[in-house]
Amino acid sequence: MTSSEAHADGARASDEALVLSVQNATHQFGSLVAVDNVSITARRGEFLTLLGESGSGKTTLLRVIAGLERPTQLGGIFIEGLDVSAVPASRRNCTTVFQHYALFPHMSVGQNIEYGLRVRGVSLSERRERAMEALKLVRLPDKYERRVHQLSGGERQRISLARALVTRPAILLLDEPLGALDEKLRVDMQVELLDLHKKLGITFIYVTHSQEEALTMSDRIILMRSGNIVQEGPPTDLFDRPGNRFVADFMGVENLLEGTLETVSDGRASVRVGDHELSGIWSGGNTPAAGTKVCVAVRAERIRLSNESGEVQEDAVNRLPCRAGITIYKGKYLDRTLDTDIGDVKARIWDHEADLVDLTSLWWREDECAVTGVEDG
Amino acid sequence: MTIGNLSPTRFRLPFWQRLADWAPTGISIIFGYAVLFILYFPIAMLMILSFSGEPNTGIPGDWTLTWYESVIFADTAQREGEAYGSNFRVGDPLLLSIMLAFITAVACVIAVLIVGPILPRIKWRGPFLVGFLMPLMIPGIVGGVGLFMWYRLVIHVKMGIWSLVLAHFVWAFPFALLAMLVVASRFDTRLMEAAEDLGAKPWQRFWQIEIPILKPGIYAAGFFGFLLSFNELPFSIFMRSGQDTLPLYLWIQSGAHNTTVPLIFAMSTIVTVGSIGLTFLAIKLAFGGGKNDVK
Repeated sequence: MTSSEAHADGARASDEALVLSVQNATHQFGSLVAVDNVSITARRGEFLTLLGESGSGKTTLLRVIAGLERPTQLGGIFIEGLDVSAVPASRRNCTTVFQHYALFPHMSVGQNIEYGLRVRGVSLSERRERAMEALKLVRLPDKYERRVHQLSGGERQRISLARALVTRPAILLLDEPLGALDEKLRVDMQVELLDLHKKLGITFIYVTHSQEEALTMSDRIILMRSGNIVQEGPPTDLFDRPGNRFVADFMGVENLLEGTLETVSDGRASVRVGDHELSGIWSGGNTPAAGTKVCVAVRAERIRLSNESGEVQEDAVNRLPCRAGITIYKGKYLDRTLDTDIGDVKARIWDHEADLVDLTSLWWREDECAVTGVEDG
Repeated sequence: MTIGNLSPTRFRLPFWQRLADWAPTGISIIFGYAVLFILYFPIAMLMILSFSGEPNTGIPGDWTLTWYESVIFADTAQREGEAYGSNFRVGDPLLLSIMLAFITAVACVIAVLIVGPILPRIKWRGPFLVGFLMPLMIPGIVGGVGLFMWYRLVIHVKMGIWSLVLAHFVWAFPFALLAMLVVASRFDTRLMEAAEDLGAKPWQRFWQIEIPILKPGIYAAGFFGFLLSFNELPFSIFMRSGQDTLPLYLWIQSGAHNTTVPLIFAMSTIVTVGSIGLTFLAIKLAFGGGKNDVK
């Protein structure tokens, strides 16, 4: 799906369902264009992820939404149908969870959480009540009196989350909130964030550089690169149908074989790579002319091995003779590198029984392989 | 040879090697104590002598509170025509110095609150910082003469209390700024963004986030402003025009009358104890709080 199509989708959705609409936002830092004429929308209750490597403009876009950054050019920003282009961050109905927590060091946990209510003039008793609720929500009910420096990293992130949620914003903006946490905690927090999202029904806009995080949590992913949207769609789209080579690479496709397109028919593309004819599902945008350079993207876990004696699968159209290269033991699986005459192919073998010593060829199914453009767009 | 068959013995380096290891530390310790002695011995001696009957001899003893009485009741003493302290009237200079110190402290706090938070974040902070801190390197006498010429001949400030305030501010500001910068340079401006994001208006961010976090720097700046003004002599010499600050008065008295020296001892002791008390108070205010940040 290209960005223009998505935009049309957004326009078709009813206005009430659209909680956020950013139109033609451009933000420059000096001569650097951080966000380049980007338009995005979010539906009420959606979990939208802005995915991209550092410098892709995802955090800048989030800050533009929050109002912490004044875009250099802007068509308009609408939150719940209201144009907030000229509204300062303090009066926008969205709050941010920062990667660096940004908890106020001179306040207790309770005072931190209550801050958004305090500046709105909410009474002390109601403040406290709602802060306790928020603390329960993030499963830290007995930390109200604590000082910030007494908390662990994970606890700080939850307090920061509670502080952002306590004002009941229409949109919660999360700027790499799990970036500073260790692996195990990160996985736990992903699940907790999903729970919270389901429970509260608030729109989450989540910035991350981790495709794994994006895939786990999102309803929709917007993949960004150097200030532009490269592809947007549900996780399965980005995972299985990368719109171009960059997306495939970013989404962790291990085997990217470049070749020339021969035909596309019925959504299936056949590609000449070296002396081989490979085919897969066409997942780029518009179909290019035959002879165009394209890319066959196939994940390592889709690669299967066979030997002379093994039975030949009928739909094994993508078959390459190969020799065994190095094998790396990864605990849960084996990573094997296989030498073929069109370069190394990586295979991931989950079932150790299926690992062959006397392998002679590898193959993969046509519908488990994407063929996509080499260039962006 | 098998492994682990040597019986362990206590491991000791030869004497000279141990000495070489310890020598740098030892020299530092001796030197450190020497410096402390040089620093504090005269002050301690002065305090002891201020309670002694014959302070001018330099020998402590014959304990008395006479000198303190004379300092405190100087005006009365003069009327009664007592021998010591007939000309020693410390009331007005003390009042003037406290007032000057207070005004300087307030001026320092305000100036430092304006400059301090911004300075670490601007592009040309290096040159600005050097500019602000230069007065530290200019000898007081030179600065005094310079200010004197400037005020008198160029901008025509009337010499008196306000010229003293200006001079004391010029003198104390760099120290106050340094004290503030220690705190301000560590201030995380992202906290201001977080507050804004949560709905805080500019004045709320200022009073509820910036001021409380910069509090130690504010107290330190005020405290430096007060003490530096209170103890200032060289600038005051040129700026006074008939007004005697306390240090100036003590200086003049100590040069003029042998008879007032015991009173100077007593007065200095009072000032020292007062300064130390103020320091502790400032430290307590700056770092002892924390519970009364939010109403």
